[in-house]
Amino acid sequence: MLDLATFRSAFEALPEPARSSARRKALDAFLAGGLPSTDLEEWKYTDLSPLAALPPAALLPEAEAAGEGIGFTDALDALNAAFAGGSTELRIAADTRRDEPIRPADRAHQRHRLHLERGAEATLILNTSGDGAFETVFADIRLDAGARLNLVRLNDAGADAHRLTRINMHLARDACANVVTVDLGGRLSRHDLNVDLAEPGAAIHLHGLYAPAGEGHVDNHTRIEHRAPHCTSREQYRGIARDKARGVFNGMIRVHKDAQKTDSEQRIANLILSPGAEINAKPELEIYADDVKCAHGATFGQLDDEALFYLRSRGLPESTARALLTWTFAHEVLQHIHQEDVRGRVTRRLLRQLPNSEQLEALQ
Amino acid sequence: MLEIKNLHARIENKDILKGVDLRLGAGEVHAIMGPNGSGKSTLSKLLAGHEDYTITEGSVSFLGEDLLELAPELRAAKGIFLGFQYPVEIPGVSNMVFLKAALNAQRKARGEKELDAGDFLAWVKHRVKQMQMNPAMLSRGVNEGFSGGEKKRNEILQMLVLEPKLMVLDETDSGLDIDALKVVADGINLMRSKERSVLLVTHYQRLLDYVKPDFVHVLAGGRIVKSGGPELALELEEKGYGWIQQAA
Repeated sequence: MLDLATFRSAFEALPEPARSSARRKALDAFLAGGLPSTDLEEWKYTDLSPLAALPPAALLPEAEAAGEGIGFTDALDALNAAFAGGSTELRIAADTRRDEPIRPADRAHQRHRLHLERGAEATLILNTSGDGAFETVFADIRLDAGARLNLVRLNDAGADAHRLTRINMHLARDACANVVTVDLGGRLSRHDLNVDLAEPGAAIHLHGLYAPAGEGHVDNHTRIEHRAPHCTSREQYRGIARDKARGVFNGMIRVHKDAQKTDSEQRIANLILSPGAEINAKPELEIYADDVKCAHGATFGQLDDEALFYLRSRGLPESTARALLTWTFAHEVLQHIHQEDVRGRVTRRLLRQLPNSEQLEALQ
Repeated sequence: MLEIKNLHARIENKDILKGVDLRLGAGEVHAIMGPNGSGKSTLSKLLAGHEDYTITEGSVSFLGEDLLELAPELRAAKGIFLGFQYPVEIPGVSNMVFLKAALNAQRKARGEKELDAGDFLAWVKHRVKQMQMNPAMLSRGVNEGFSGGEKKRNEILQMLVLEPKLMVLDETDSGLDIDALKVVADGINLMRSKERSVLLVTHYQRLLDYVKPDFVHVLAGGRIVKSGGPELALELEEKGYGWIQQAA
């Protein structure tokens, strides 16, 4: 197993009050479990060993202790529990709407619990765009009956950034969540999104964009569990890889045997912009009910030649035309971000990553 | 303005054009008619620089320059405009952003000063009004969710904004009702001048009631098999193409 001494020394360097027994217990659980190896199917394409090679100063555990008594489910969850600070435990009261989005403070390691009571409505924006070389954000979200959540997760960190994020969502009867997740850049990002559609009528809409560049590696794992009848899931993930970057998408949809009348759709589309870039996308469907509607499809490719010709025939140089079509491809996901500041920020960053996009500054 | 000599072209080892000769003088309107599969669309796309076709023989010169050497965007900057039979949808990019980027890219390529936002807006609004379009369409995505008629009208709007010298319109009239057809025809007529030429590729004589051509050609089997004045279009409408194909 990898030597994880740097994690221990980063923790021991914290001031005494921050080294609480709960955090130490979590740290020990992480050190005992270790980083998942690529022998595991779930981690086949994503090697976390570079994390062990980061200097202790880059690991940045939070000096302010997290809330006590937060349990953890596996080694990475324990790592986040040990390192996170100033955790958010938030409850939105029944039948209230929170108009301002919840934007947790920009910390390297965050651990959130969000509970929307019956009929509550809220927006949560999770951001791992900070400068830290290593950041982890884990969130547990519970929607009671009829609650509605908009969730935007954004990672547009710099080229050396390592990010681990995991979001678990539990949806009760008729609850509805709209999720947009965006990864632009970074050295290594692994994002797990686990959704439990636990009671009838729950609905999840997932829109994901991942656009690794340079030597970046972005891995998105989603798991949607249809546990009850009459639930809906819509999942659309789009990948754009260039340079020597690698993208991974694994989308599991499991329809349990009682989940009759499930309505599920998964669409995957990928764009490879450079010969050295690579995307591994894998849909996984397990269906144990017989009266369900499950559609899925995946496309891989380059930009559409006819569209490219159309734009060039109007005078746009080829590189601008390519940038514009790439933007259009991404827009299918980005249009679901309703916060203008967030969408503008993603757009600017995306355009910066595309060649010859100066004619397109107005898109911002 | 445009001179096509003995043009042969193929796609995926299939010969489509088998020796096309055509001369368009400045200020002239030519119509090319012909049965399906005769090579009409190939000829249009080829003039705009589509890269799927291989030219095996012949030449095309535009304003004295070898056109076949130029990339599509340079042809556009020189003044060639192709109105597409099936305009492409570009979701997420508004007509306004697209038109401004296209016009300024052309101006830049020609060494002209780019238009600023205010001047461009005034210019494009003027054209939108002439095309009897709702200015709200400018903030919609290019052809996004447009009906067939709206797409064709949008093609003509792009043409009015970009002010090309040679307008090649590939079945711009198909799928239009009479009202839309008149608007499209008005747009084309608005652009007619002593310096500009039009190549209308069409299946139907109907458009030619509104845009009077100087010459009509019949393209069949990859060649121009008959040329004449506007009366030829009427004859084709009445008798179909069979008699010409047999005669050729």
